[in-house]
Amino acid sequence: MPSLLPLFQWANNLPIADWVRNSTWIFPAAETVHIVALAVLFGAILFVDLQLLGFVRRDTSVSHLEKELRPWTFSSLIVILVTGALLFSSEAMKLYISAPFQIKIVMLFLAIAFNYTIHRKVIGTETVRLGPAWGKVTAVVSIALWLSVGLAGRAIGFF
Amino acid sequence: MMSVEIAAAPVGVKASSPGSRTKKKILGLIAGGVIAVLVSALVWLMAVAMPSKTDGPFTFLENICVWLYDTPVSVGIRESALLFPAIEGIHLLGIGLSVGMLCWFDLRLLGLAMKDEPVSKVWSRVMPAAFTGFVLMFITGGLLFWAEAATAYHSVHFWIKIGLIVLAGVNAGYFEMTTHKHVAEWDTAPVLPVRARMAGLFSLLLWTAVIITGRTMAYSF
Repeated sequence: MPSLLPLFQWANNLPIADWVRNSTWIFPAAETVHIVALAVLFGAILFVDLQLLGFVRRDTSVSHLEKELRPWTFSSLIVILVTGALLFSSEAMKLYISAPFQIKIVMLFLAIAFNYTIHRKVIGTETVRLGPAWGKVTAVVSIALWLSVGLAGRAIGFF
Repeated sequence: MMSVEIAAAPVGVKASSPGSRTKKKILGLIAGGVIAVLVSALVWLMAVAMPSKTDGPFTFLENICVWLYDTPVSVGIRESALLFPAIEGIHLLGIGLSVGMLCWFDLRLLGLAMKDEPVSKVWSRVMPAAFTGFVLMFITGGLLFWAEAATAYHSVHFWIKIGLIVLAGVNAGYFEMTTHKHVAEWDTAPVLPVRARMAGLFSLLLWTAVIITGRTMAYSF
């Protein structure tokens, strides 16, 4: 596998990276927006998944709820990715050797891919045809993936 | 502010038509952008224009904080390689469960999400999870405070955060005891009473501000 080092170096040398590094407040601000958007994204995902698990009274179809929340999930994800890229570029070289960061990115790709493929497909399919167990498995996998992204993200600051 | 411009737009938009979904996405992005600018301004204000350390006049409280700081549990959490990150990780993810869930009820009150569902229905679906989230947040938050009590006492951001949490609590309590009691009268109303919308707006703004101060606090420690 080719090394990803050039990509990290490129990000590290971007003008925008210097801009973030040379300011006292852009990094905290970007990180704060990152976390506020995280609340919205995790909330939307949990809302749907907790319904799938049957923890909350199911009086509307989950697919209807998921469709309703889609614009919020999507826009908060965009905000998270943009602020995340900003944070990343400012300390790309530090992150290149960070194990939690590597875990986080892998989990993030998995989580996004899972959310827009299997997760969406299972929710869109009627439970009669699929059986409720699959919905629950999907919900557990989804929650586990997103939680690992969040925990690994927090771990970057500590390890 | 942001609430005004985005609150006005979705009224009358049918959730089912395909064109409105793109419209909703764009509105979501605009709202995200506006919130990002507001948050940046606030963080800048708190990080640069405001002193981050305080010498509070409450010697009594300070003594308690110092005493807490020196207890074995406090030292243990603070100096543990795993415990502090783990508690903080749970605290962070608790945001998703507490504020992340509550925000859907607030957005429903404002008429920005799930407009075709009765308010009481959204409430009964969101609340069990949000309540669990808040319990989790208060427990982990309490432990984090225990570990950093003496530092937190001198942090302006910490005091602002506590103040904001109290305000959010007052807002929720007032809504519960007055407006929410008559939920049956406006459960499915196309436009909710101003008092209900205000409660949603304040809750949304206050909890966002709590998250912001929580984050800026860590930079000023």
